[in-house]
Parts: sequence; C-alpha cells; structure tokens
Amino acid sequence: MKLTINTPEGTRDRLFAECLERRQLRDRLTRLFRQRGFQEVSTPDTEFYDLYARSGCAIDQERMVKVADPSGKFCVMRPDSTTPIARVAATKLRTVSLPQRLYYDQTVYRVAGNGASREVPQCGVELIGAAGLKADLEIVVTAIDALRACGTAQFHVELGHAGFFRDLASQLEMAPDEVEVLRLMIEGKNFATLNNWWLSPHWGKPACEALERLSRLFGGEEVLSQAEELAGPTRAVDYLRQLYDELSAAGYASYVRFDLGMVHQMDYYTGVVFRGFAEGAGEPVLSGGRYDHLVEHFGRETQATGFGVDIDAVARTLPETSLPQLRTVVHYEPGYLAQALEVIDSRPAGTCELSPCRTLESSRNLARDKGVKTVLVLDKAGERMVPV
Amino acid sequence: MRERLRIALTKGRLLEQSAELLERVGLNCGPIRSPGRRLVHALPNYPLDAVLAKAPDVITYVEHGVCDLGIVGRDTILEKGGTFYEVLDLELGVCRFALAVKEGSDFYGSYRTRRVASKYPCLTRAYFAQKGMDVDVIQIEGSVELAPILGLADAIVDIVETGATLKANGLIPIETVETVSARLIVNTASMKLYKDLILDFIERCEKGVEQA
Repeated sequence: MKLTINTPEGTRDRLFAECLERRQLRDRLTRLFRQRGFQEVSTPDTEFYDLYARSGCAIDQERMVKVADPSGKFCVMRPDSTTPIARVAATKLRTVSLPQRLYYDQTVYRVAGNGASREVPQCGVELIGAAGLKADLEIVVTAIDALRACGTAQFHVELGHAGFFRDLASQLEMAPDEVEVLRLMIEGKNFATLNNWWLSPHWGKPACEALERLSRLFGGEEVLSQAEELAGPTRAVDYLRQLYDELSAAGYASYVRFDLGMVHQMDYYTGVVFRGFAEGAGEPVLSGGRYDHLVEHFGRETQATGFGVDIDAVARTLPETSLPQLRTVVHYEPGYLAQALEVIDSRPAGTCELSPCRTLESSRNLARDKGVKTVLVLDKAGERMVPV
Repeated sequence: MRERLRIALTKGRLLEQSAELLERVGLNCGPIRSPGRRLVHALPNYPLDAVLAKAPDVITYVEHGVCDLGIVGRDTILEKGGTFYEVLDLELGVCRFALAVKEGSDFYGSYRTRRVASKYPCLTRAYFAQKGMDVDVIQIEGSVELAPILGLADAIVDIVETGATLKANGLIPIETVETVSARLIVNTASMKLYKDLILDFIERCEKGVEQA
C-alpha cells in the first residue's frame, strides 16, 4: 500500500514568517476587540450538520467539509463561526443580560470550487442583543479600526443594506425564484442582462429603474443621492445616510463607501451589510452585517450584528515580514546555564541561541553551518566572543 | 493607487474579435495583434496592459485578482464557475451548445438511463439536473461525435456552429442547451478599488458592442 504524506489539497503547512505574520495580525485584532469590551469564546471544530441546517445557513451544503462522527450523525467542520456563537448566546448565555460582546479567533473550513478543502483563519466579533444605529455604528467603526490595526494601507469598508433590494423587489410582485435570479444578476453585477428581457414586463415602475441600475450603485456618498433619485426616499437609504453622518462626525468618512448592489446572503442578513476591500487582496478582507433572525433559531429572540476578518486575505495586503537573523551562538560550560540564559533573554528575540554541543569546537562548527560569525563563550574565565 | 488596469484576453479566434471591438472605440491594439514573444502587452493609448491566456486561465487570473478584467466565453464560465463580476455580454463568438443524437434515435423515448458525452461535463450535468433527469455524463476530450458512433453514448452536448460536422457523422441537434458568447468579467475587489478606471473601460466596451 502506498501511503501519502503530503497535505490534502487546499491545506498547507505554514512556516516561520508566514506564521509570524498571522500571529501578529491576530494579536493586533484580538487586542482591539478586548479593548472594546468583547470577550473571547471558542466553539468546537466539528458541529452537527443539524446546527447549520436549522439556522438556514447561507453556506451551501456541498461547501461544508463533512466528517464522520461515532454517533452516526452527520457532522461538518465549522463552515462559519457566527452560527455556533449564536447558539452559545441563545443557550449558555441565556440568562446573561444583553447586550453581549463576543469575539472569536478560529479557523473556518470550506470546500473550494475544485473540491479542495480550504482552511480560513478568521478573527471576528458579534454584538448580540443590540439593535439600532448605535449598535451598527459600533460594529462598523470596529471593522474600520480592525483594518487600521492590521496596518493595511489602502482600504475601504463598503456599506449596503439588505432592505433596499428586498423592498424594491417586493414592489415588482415577482415569484420568489424570479427574485432569486434577479438577485444573482445584481450580485454578479451583470450590467447587460438586467436591462433587457428580465425586467421588461415591469418597465415604467420606479422600482424597476432602480433595480436596473442597482449593479452600478456603488462608490462614494453620492450613491445615496443617486439611489434616492431612482427609487424615491427609502428607509434603507435614510438609515445609511444617518450612519454615514455619524461616521463622518467621528472622522471615519474617508474609509466608507457604499454598494447598494451588495445583495449576498439575503436570507441571512436583515439590515446593514458591509465588506472591506484592500489593495493587494483580490477578495474581500472582511465581511459582516446585521442578522436579526439567527439567534432566534436557537430559541432566544434577539437582534445581532458582527463581522469577521479573513486573516490570510489581510496578510496578502501587507509587505512580507522578514524574520530576525541569528547573530550569536552561546556556548556554555557546565554550571553556566543561568548566565547563558541571561544573555539570550536580554537580546532581541531570534538573534541569539544556545549551542547544544559539548565542546567549543563543535559549537564553532555549528555556528559556521548556520552562517553566524561569533560564538559567545561562558565559562570560569567569564564571558568572551570567539570568532568562528 | 494603481494607474493601469490589467486584462486577460482569451487566445485564439476570440482574441482577434476582442481586438476589433476595442479598436472600434479607439484603443490601439497593435501590441496584441503582433504579440511576438512578449507575454504582457501595454496598450499605447489607454491605461491597460493585456495578458494573453487560455480561456480557463483567464478566469483563474481574474478570480485571484492578478488581472482586473478578462474576456472569456460564457461556455468556460459555465463549466469552470468562480467568483467574479460578469458585467457585459460582448456578443462576440456567439455559438450554441446543442444536444445532438444519432439520426432516427429517440433520446427521450426510454426509461433507461441515458449516457451523454461532452467536453463540458459540468454544464451537461447542470442542464439535465434542471430537467430533473438522471443521466450518465462521460467526459471526452477530443472529437465528441465519436462517442455515439462507437456506441459509448446516446447523445452529445457540444458547441454547434454550422452543424456540418454533426451531419457528416450522422448526428442531428435536437435542442439548444445554451447560447453562449464572450463576456467581460471583473475581479470583485478591483471593481471597488479602481471603480473609475473600470467603469470607463466597461462603457467603452458597451459602445463597442453597440457599434458592431
């Protein structure tokens, strides 16, 4: 039998700089989250499929990584963190007063298009039990500050509202599956298909004109006025404008843009939705929004909003970290370990290490192999540098 | 901020047609028309660099964001899938996918599971799934017309232009599976980050399509 030892398609070993970069990003993000009053929770890597089926999760079943469970029940590797956290909020935290600020730092597992599994490290927050402008504002500024904390140079967070598309579509009195086709076209920014056959039975209605233009309704603040010109005043756009005014007053305007054609996961999101885009990553680096019906699937009626940062995507937007260079090898005689450790602990991390060799000669050979110029020797004569 | 966009163009016949479309709206496509050994071609009078690639690679480059834009056939999009914005039907390379059977045979007249050969197994599977019909899909890389002749399949799904090849092999198209043409696709992040540049390019392409 031939046994394979390479990693499964889509997974990988990470070494040195790659680990360090991700570790630093997670440290910066979780520090910010704690600073803002969020508390960490972690949930199992495997969950019953039932959890996601019951919550009406927007992730397709075929994109979940399945695993065998001794009970005979169907299990999946956590495809998202928000659903299990909603479960925690509805069950273990049932008696804890709201709002609850929770954060997570864990990997999600998805099956990629070509059947390969993908492991996506994510850090994110959930604000559970708070509705309204201030709650949305807090989550959006935390998202912006999260990307700032990561050191991403050129980025913006794009806001949309699930209610905008939903209200427009309901005015056209289409069948649910027709609405879904329309939604997919808008999500795909299919400029061409929208303005020919699809909407033709509805020409003349203001909602129709707005839907036709929806794929293009993204950009700066002017998008809100354009939306109002097309669809008249709507609650969704009013709300986004209020949010924008508050964000501007707090000095966040330069990071904010709008995309009213952001119509992904419409069964899941109920209000403000947003995504972060940064130069260097070909996909969103962050995504989130308000999901007021998720927690009630687990038996507690409460509103919620949150976002998750894709650590790998953010790492792609940053310059590569260079690792510290080893400069000194420490050779110590028996009885001088304490002094040796003192030397190592006083130097910058990764620039100095102990030699495990018994003789000075082999310590010098070791230093030469590692490209180090000097060996620091500690013995009864004290401390001295020996060239290699 | 970036000042130039990068586009992946599908090599072959579609490349010629794409260049014609872009030239109609004033882009100088000289470097693409005589590529020589170079792989990246800067257009002299528009902030665009072009990369020439095989159709599935166009999608790969755009999906990963190494190219902001791509021109690729709808057939490849249907077969390969992926996450990107499909913004415009360029109405180039229009052709249809048809279901073709041996002349005189009755494809739907049996309860036996039918076998269908195609170079496009995903597209074929999706088509019959939508009809609620179980079929065995067999992937063939070369001349698909051979499969029914050899008795390997009951039907084929393939691109039909004139139907001459089918006829010469005793096959007739019985229904259109999908009409396909070239599409302009855009990376999702690029669309947001370089909105002005990208919308300008889309508008030019729209004009180019109108003027055809």
